[in-house]
This record gives sequence, structure tokens and C-alpha cells, in this order.
Amino acid sequence: MKICELVLKNFGKFRDKSIALTEGIQLLYGENESGKSTLHTFIKGMLFGIERGRGRAANSDIFSRYEPWENPNYYSGRLTLEVGGKHFIIERNFDKYAKKVQIICQEDGEALSAEDGDLDMLLDGLTASGYENTVSVAQLKVQPGSSLAAELKNYATNYYVTGDSDLNLDAALKKLQDDRKEAERRIRGEIRKKQEKRDRVEQELSYIWRDIHRITEEQGLLEEEITNRRERMEQREKEASEVKQRMLDELRPPKWRIHPVEILVFIAALILSFLFIPRPWNSFVTVVMFLCGLIYIWNRMKIAKKQVKTEPELILEEITPEEEKIPYEKLIWEYEHRAGELREKQVQYDNLKETLEELDETSDEHKKYERKSCALQLAAERIEELSDGFQKKLKGSLNADASDIICEITGGKYSRLILEEEPGQGLLMGLLSDGRKISTAQVSRGTLEQVYFALRMAAGRLLYKEDYPVILDDTFVCYDDERLARTLKWLHENKKQVIIFTCQRREEEALEKLKIPYRKVDIF
Amino acid sequence: MIAGDLFHRQPLRRELRELNYMFGRLTVTKVVIIAGNHDYLKKDSYYRSFQWEENVHMILSPEISCIEFPEYSLAVYGLSYTSREIKEERCKTAFPGKRQACEILLVHGGDENHIPLKKEDLLRLGYDYIALGHVHKPQQISPGKAAYAGALEPIDKNDTGVHGYISGEITERGCKFTFVPAASREYVHLKVRVNKEMTERGLKEEIGKKIREKGEQHIYKIILTGQRDPETEFDTESLNVYGNIVEVVDNTTYAYQFTKLKEQNRENILGQFIESFSGNDEGSLEYQAMCEGVYALMETRKG
Repeated sequence: MKICELVLKNFGKFRDKSIALTEGIQLLYGENESGKSTLHTFIKGMLFGIERGRGRAANSDIFSRYEPWENPNYYSGRLTLEVGGKHFIIERNFDKYAKKVQIICQEDGEALSAEDGDLDMLLDGLTASGYENTVSVAQLKVQPGSSLAAELKNYATNYYVTGDSDLNLDAALKKLQDDRKEAERRIRGEIRKKQEKRDRVEQELSYIWRDIHRITEEQGLLEEEITNRRERMEQREKEASEVKQRMLDELRPPKWRIHPVEILVFIAALILSFLFIPRPWNSFVTVVMFLCGLIYIWNRMKIAKKQVKTEPELILEEITPEEEKIPYEKLIWEYEHRAGELREKQVQYDNLKETLEELDETSDEHKKYERKSCALQLAAERIEELSDGFQKKLKGSLNADASDIICEITGGKYSRLILEEEPGQGLLMGLLSDGRKISTAQVSRGTLEQVYFALRMAAGRLLYKEDYPVILDDTFVCYDDERLARTLKWLHENKKQVIIFTCQRREEEALEKLKIPYRKVDIF
Repeated sequence: MIAGDLFHRQPLRRELRELNYMFGRLTVTKVVIIAGNHDYLKKDSYYRSFQWEENVHMILSPEISCIEFPEYSLAVYGLSYTSREIKEERCKTAFPGKRQACEILLVHGGDENHIPLKKEDLLRLGYDYIALGHVHKPQQISPGKAAYAGALEPIDKNDTGVHGYISGEITERGCKFTFVPAASREYVHLKVRVNKEMTERGLKEEIGKKIREKGEQHIYKIILTGQRDPETEFDTESLNVYGNIVEVVDNTTYAYQFTKLKEQNRENILGQFIESFSGNDEGSLEYQAMCEGVYALMETRKG
């Protein structure tokens, strides 16, 4: 494939600018701010389109950056490609309203349709990410806070494990892991929620159980009381029958402790004994009888004293056995009432127990997060699996190719590029010089740039059958003159079309010196 | 006719008393109750000893038995559960006894563990009407012959659709019945399609609009479908505009165009990752894994 012509109708600062390109080394020279990066972006945009960013990102995306300074609604360009001996003209409108791609074959005038994938066919499998990774080589970009060596290693690692240096395997895996942790946290939350619900039911259960316990206890007391009462009643009945035997007491008028007849009989007996018993015995017998009578009366009075209770005694009696005053029927009723209550509570208790058993089923939320966790794990496993495959496939061949290139550029100083898996540290990169291994952290910036260049060139060769143009954007700033010359020579020998964007005259001088044919285009 | 499961668990005595009071206030209506699998007749169930009002009749036998209403020339046949499950087909040969002119069968169940029933068997028995219970969703089994009345009110968030009772009349010309919606509200599963331009506020408004259309008295389960912007994560709690959303299920997938993405990344891990999941249906675990994996790779991608 070859890029033949660029026509920037209205793109960035350019208006109706046309640049013709041919085979071999094309030197696009321009001072700072002359629009080299604009041209670079234009080529990529023409081939793959410019995707608009969404939301806030849209303010600083490529689309906005190169939106024409004047007349932004007219944002378009044309690019001519040569593929398989045929020329194709790609016309593109970038602006929001008239976004459009048109492809026309110059030789037979056939219009191709980008929607049907004809452009993809023309590019023969080259994708935007592939383009960024192989065709176009900018200077190694350094992320703030990271060393160049680390950046190179990062590039190589990501390239080796994913096949695309922009994809960050470790970060992606970490993200999956974090998401999984989050899902698991949610699962734990669900379990806790369920446990809380369980606790609530269990608490309710324990209340009811306590009630049951209390009621049973009360019932026991009542039962005891009822049997007591029954015994006492039986006893009282027995007592009552005993009392009946003492008929004498019954004969007496109630208020009298001693019957008046008794007293009359007594007095009569005294008088009679005094009159009829001969003297001197009569007075003696009478006195004895009188004394006997007194003892009897005194005894009777004593019994009466016992039976008649004083006022405070009666009050006392009223207070003490309070519950004995509750009628027996009421006790029985209460006992039965308790039994009913107990049964009710028992049913409630059993119902709650059933509820508790049903709580064991897992909730939908729980299932959802469990599924998510599974999906995340599956994704992580699959990515790791694929990455292993990539590593195996790329490591061998890419290493060999990159080693050849680095050897040539450095004039044999570094014979090989080594990429090794170090346990616990991931991939380690190094260079072999005179049989000595040197870590990339130890070599100069220029050498690192050269390693990077070598890797990209090797990757391009490995991935694509088609010989794509190479676009170099200020790639050689850190190269010394000798290595620059070797690199240019390598490019001249190995690549069909090389487009070099530069702001220096070094490349030109080196090419002159090497007598390599080139074409120079001044950008302004 | 109450075809079982009037209570979800064993009824309490005070609950039965309340119910009985309400039944007692009915003037002309007669009530026939059977016990279902939830309120089955446990050994000490209050059902067994409860004294119902005169117009209420409960069938306590676990075998088909009959209650007759000579004033209506009606006999109602049925049986009650005495255990949580009845796996035998107890109604297969429960032919009517021809005791009265009209005969109705009252059955609770219909699934594998709760008196398995077959439509043909039921119709073959020759009842004027078969009142079925157990399934919460009202459904007609055979026109003019048999139906599930369903729950009077929906009792679970998955009991969607209208709920009510069945009202019918048996005359010389046969039985005619209609479903009478009576529930004051329904559970509604509301599918809301999300697109990648939709923000949380937009979604809220969309849901609000749809709820207003369907009725604010209902209780909603929102199911989000479609594709959402991977950057947008909807806060399902905050979507409850009217306070009548019981659950929000997020079935959305990320708005990636997987085929395009696969084409663009053919030679790297992203494309192969998508490729390795090809042929999996949307909704499968693998599809979800693919979405998550692509999301992780895209999110952490540089540039």
C-alpha cells in the first residue's frame, strides 16, 4: 500500500492544501507549529475516521482539536491510496452534520461503499489500533511520573500480552478483580440483610417463647392453687360433718356460752345438795359442787373466748389469704383461658418457625451479584488465557525480528533484545552486549527510542503481509548521527514508502551523505 | 367458595374469630371453606374445633366429602389438606354423588406436589363447575367449567396482573362465570428500554411518565433493558419517583458494538476476547462475562 496524495480541503489550520507523495523516503519538513501533527492526524482520520468523544471528553478530543479554524461546518479532505496497482480516492466529511465517506477507484471509476467494509478490505485488515501500533511511530511518550524505561517496558509488556500496546492487561485484570470484590461486598451485604431479618424473626420467636414459658408457669401455679383449693374444700366439708357430731353446741342458743337451763340445773343441784345431804357433809359437798360448777363455767367461757374473735383479728383474716377469696370458678376459668392463650402462642410460634425456614432461600439481589461475580471471574480467566497465548506467539518471533533491527541500527553493539519473564516482576527487558546482559533501565534515552522503533517495525512485519507505509513523527531527535544514518539505511532497504515528519535538517543531511534518494516537501 | 389457602400459615384463633364475624354479617351468602397447603389442618389446628356461624361450612375431611344445600339444590364437594403436600391424584376419580341437581367441586392444588390435576380428568368428572385454588394468577381452565380464581389481592411482587374473584351462575342451561377484578392495586413489571444517550435524570423522567400512564396506585418492578453507556451506572435507589417502586432490575448491557469492536481489534486481545465468546446468547453468563471483560479492557485502555 502506498499513500499518493493528501488534499486537506478544510482541516485544522489548512485550507485547500495538497501534498503529493511517492515511493521511497518522503521528508516532510516543517518548522514548529507548521502543522506536522495536523497532517499526521489527517492521514489517520482519512483512513479510519474520527470518532467523537462523549460528554466532557468531547471538548478536548481529536475532533475538536482539528476542527477547522474557519468555517467549521466544512471539515473535510481527500486522500489517494495505491493498493495492488490501483488508485483509490477516499473523500471524507468530518463535520457533525454531513459526516460521509466516499471511495472511488480512479482506474475504473467504481464507487466503493465504506459501509459495506470496502475500506477495511482496501486496508487489508489494518485497524486503527494496528495503525497506531505499527505504521505510525511517534516519539516514545512518557507519562508523567514514569521513567522512559518503564514506559518502554510497559509498551512492550502490553504489546506482548495483549497484542496492542494501548491495552493495559494488568489494569484491566485489576479492574475486573476490583469489580468482583465489589460484587462480593454486595453479596455480603445481602447476607447481612438476610441475617438481620432472621434476627428480627428470631427475636420475635424468643418473645413468644418467653410468653409461652410465662403462661406455662402461671398455669402451673393456678393448677397448684386449684388442687389446694379443692383439698381445702374437701377438708372443710369433712370438718363440717365433724361439727355436726357436737350436737350439744347446736342446742345452745347462739349468743349463750352456757345454756340458762344448765345454770338453773346447777343452782338447783347446789340448793338440793345443801338441803338434803345431812350435816356436816352438806356444806362440804356443796362447796365441792360449786367449785366443779365454776370450773365447768370457766371452761365453757374459755371455749367461747376462742370462738369469738376480736375486731382486729377479723381484719387480719381478711387481708392475708387474698387469693383464697377469689372464687373457685374464676380460678378454673383463668386456667382454661391460659390454656387457650398457650395454644394461640404455640401456633404463632410454629408459624414463625416456618417463616424462618423459608428465609433460607437466597434473594434475587444475592443471585444477581453472585452471577456478576461469576461473570467477572470468567472474563478475567479468559483474558489471562488469551494473554498467555499472545505472549507465546509473539515473544519468539517478535524478539528475533526486533533483535535483528536493533543489531543493525546500533552497528552490532547490541546483538539481541531479551524479554524474560521474571517471577514476581512480570516481563523484564534487557539488551545483550558482548554477551553481557544490560537492563533497559541502564541504557540511554536514544537507545531506548531505538528499541522502541525496532519493536514497532518488527510488530508490523509480523502482523501484516501487506507492506504498509511507515510514518515517523520526529522519531529521530535523540539518535546520534551514526545511528540515524543506519536507521535511514535500514528504512530505505526494507520499506517501500517512508514518511518522515521532521523539524530538523539532520535527516536531509544524512540522506545526502548516504546518497539515498528522497523527496522533500516543505510544510507551511 | 374458598378454595384453600385463605391463610398463609396456621390461622390464630383471634383471626378466625375476626373472619367469622365478617362472614356472619353476610345476609344471604353461604360460605364453603377448604384448607389448602399453607393453612393445612394440623393436628391442633383451630380449624378443627372452631365454631363457625351457621352460614359458614368447612370441609375438614382429607377425602372428598360433600356439603349439601337443599334450598339451592346444590352439593359442594371438596377436601382439605391435612399435611403440607398431597402428591396423590385425589381428584382423578372423585365423581359427583348425584345428590343434588347442581354439583360443584372445590379443589386446591394442581401442581406436582399439591394434588396433581389434569384438565381432561377434571372435565370427565362431570361437575357443573370446578372451583380451583392454589395458583395466585386468575385463569380459566375450561370455559363455563373450571377456573382458578387466583388471589384476591396480589401477595408477592411477582403476582402481576389483575386480581379478584370469580362470580358465576349455574342455571338449567349450564354454568356461566366471569372474573371480577377486585384488588385495589396490582404489581406491574414495567420494562424500560434504556439507550446510550440516556442519563439518570432522563431515565427517571421516562419511568415517571410510564408510571403515570399505567396508574400511580400500582406497585412497580422496573426492569431496565437495552444498552447503556458504560460510563453511566444508574442508582436504582434514586429512581423511586413515586415511592411505589419495589424493585429495579438492571438487565442493561453496555452499549458497545461488539462486532465492530471485534473487527477493529482483530489482531489484539480485545478482538480475540470477543471472538472467544461468540455464539453466546444475550442474557447468558458468558455474554455478561464478555461485557464485563470488554468494559474492563476499554476502561483501562490508554489514549
